[in-house]
Amino acid sequence: MALTRGIVPFCFKVIKVVPITLQTHNIHRWVAPTLMELKRREKKLGGKKTNPRNTFAEWNLEAELYAFGKRLNEEFNYDTLLQAFTDRSYVVQEEMKQKEMAIDINLKDNKELAEQGEQFIKEYVQVYLETVLPKFPVDGVTSITKNLTNEETLSHISLHLGTKDIILAAEYPVDNYILANTFKAIVGALLQSSGKERTAHFVRDFVITQLQGQDVNEYWPIDDPWSMLTEILRKDGVTIEPRLIGDVGKNTLLACYRVGLYINKKMISSGFGETAATAKEMAAREALKKVFGTEDHMKPINFQLEGIPKPNENNIYQISAS
Amino acid sequence: MSNSNLFLKSGFLRAPLQNGVGRFVPQLQRIVFKFCKTHGASRGMRDFIEQDLLDFAKQNPNIVVYMKPRRHRSPVIVAEYLNGDRFWMSMHNKTHDEITKWVEVMRTQQGDIAATRLRKLQYTDHPSIQGPWTPFTFKDPELNVASLPDSKYGANDRLPMSATEKLRLMFEQQKLNESDIKTAE
Amino acid sequence: MSAAKRVQQWATFARTWHIYDCKWQDPYESAHVIKKYLMGLHKPIYHPMNDCGDVVVCINSRDIALRGDEWRKRAYFHHTGYPGGATWTLAWELHNKDPTMIIKKAVYRAIKGNLQRRHTMERLFIYPGEDIPEGVLENVTNQIRQLRLVPTRLDHIPEEVVEKYPKVMEYPEDYVLK
Repeated sequence: MALTRGIVPFCFKVIKVVPITLQTHNIHRWVAPTLMELKRREKKLGGKKTNPRNTFAEWNLEAELYAFGKRLNEEFNYDTLLQAFTDRSYVVQEEMKQKEMAIDINLKDNKELAEQGEQFIKEYVQVYLETVLPKFPVDGVTSITKNLTNEETLSHISLHLGTKDIILAAEYPVDNYILANTFKAIVGALLQSSGKERTAHFVRDFVITQLQGQDVNEYWPIDDPWSMLTEILRKDGVTIEPRLIGDVGKNTLLACYRVGLYINKKMISSGFGETAATAKEMAAREALKKVFGTEDHMKPINFQLEGIPKPNENNIYQISAS
Repeated sequence: MSNSNLFLKSGFLRAPLQNGVGRFVPQLQRIVFKFCKTHGASRGMRDFIEQDLLDFAKQNPNIVVYMKPRRHRSPVIVAEYLNGDRFWMSMHNKTHDEITKWVEVMRTQQGDIAATRLRKLQYTDHPSIQGPWTPFTFKDPELNVASLPDSKYGANDRLPMSATEKLRLMFEQQKLNESDIKTAE
Repeated sequence: MSAAKRVQQWATFARTWHIYDCKWQDPYESAHVIKKYLMGLHKPIYHPMNDCGDVVVCINSRDIALRGDEWRKRAYFHHTGYPGGATWTLAWELHNKDPTMIIKKAVYRAIKGNLQRRHTMERLFIYPGEDIPEGVLENVTNQIRQLRLVPTRLDHIPEEVVEKYPKVMEYPEDYVLK
């Protein structure tokens, strides 16, 4: 109470004395130049340095690896997992250090595991996609597989599984190649500790689900859709007829045409374009999507397929992308 | 929108790595409790550690829990997420209950979501079910072969019937009835 | 952006050319209809910040119809900016001078006065008669329906049709038509 009695008159005094303009929060004049100077010096020394997370006091590799497995709901062998996280650059760096200190501890890098993992991922993704997209041509499926297993996608997956801090590498932050490589090695490690089926489900849940909400046709560029379509339909003995079914602002720069493709006077697809030729090509693309069963309103890809599907080569529409 | 929001990173509501499509991965990867063993400001934090921390760690084996006693410094919780976010929060003078609630928030959120300004409160990969509208969508196909201007497409066709037209129709009807009666006879 | 999405965008924002026949139409009522097409208000994709307005071609602006004695009473005000520079032109005078002016001013007044108005007006073409350039006519793919019924003059109806039309009563034989 005594304290408040002491403060209250003081407050009134302050309000009386201080003019209104000074009541706003002012940043002092020295702040900006000082920050600029600090930034300049930091730049001169080679930019901001980020310390590796695993050099912090609060870091326990064993606990991190245990939690990593639990997070993904998988049982890993500790030594194999550690090996999967060991990059070649780290092994080289450690050997140099050990030479200086004249000791010898054998370290294994993740090269072999990564190779095993990569092999498995590629084969499984290919077979899986062939099963869930039964009408899609082999070339197209291969193209999707290539996109799903490239460095960019795998490093993105790897980063979001939290490997960035755990990876043992000479550099920090690690680059995309190491991230992708580690993911492949983790798949390899899982293959050793849990068997093929569990690994397949792991790949399905983290790699193939990246297709969720994506248009699979975009992964496969077709150079000449019209000739591809006519070739397919010639095999079935059907002729196709393109018709101009709409145009807007013919003589302007913003002209738009709509071309429909007809079989026996029934429209199978339509496409738009700034010229009639483009519209025809786009209509052919739409028709091809129908043939391949990958239209915009296709059923969502099944991400719940159990086990490893068996490759069935008779079922697949074989088309050369000429 | 206040001005400070303009400097926030902006984004859409998205699950990281299509989380939940395949399997669900809890997004909190590690949590660090920094506290003082003697200072009063860390009282609630010490209570939490004594009473709840072991259960928390047991129930969440996917989270790495670190404790960092620091002499006479303010208590802090740092949560690190799989998407690389680092959520720092001062727990100065917070009670046991408050800390329990904040830990629950950190455990369940997917990243430092408060640091993102949401551009929209919803997100979709497919904004339209029927396909986007175009000028051709509801167009009468007859117009393709019509030579405009044509009063067939230009005249108002929603006006009520005129009295003259009504009279004429009545007259036609009358004539029909007369012919019916004649044939009946 | 993939090829499919690119052409989709192109088609969605394509500008349609509409034709509107002003014959016997009230310019001030028609202006509110034309405005909707010029600004793109008739499209489901409309948003004040997207540029989705269409082009409107008005024909027969010479044959517009004003209500009551508006031809004589309505005055168009103009001020040159100099002292004594105010002029009031009656509607019939203005129409004699430039038969497209009344409809143009009506549409201009119907659109809300903002920075976009003059750009929107650029998309309006007005022709006094039915003769319009071939290039413009080729672009037209839609016709806006008129608001009022265009009456047909008796001397434009073929004589056989007039003869066959049912009559309420016959004039007496000795009745003298003026």
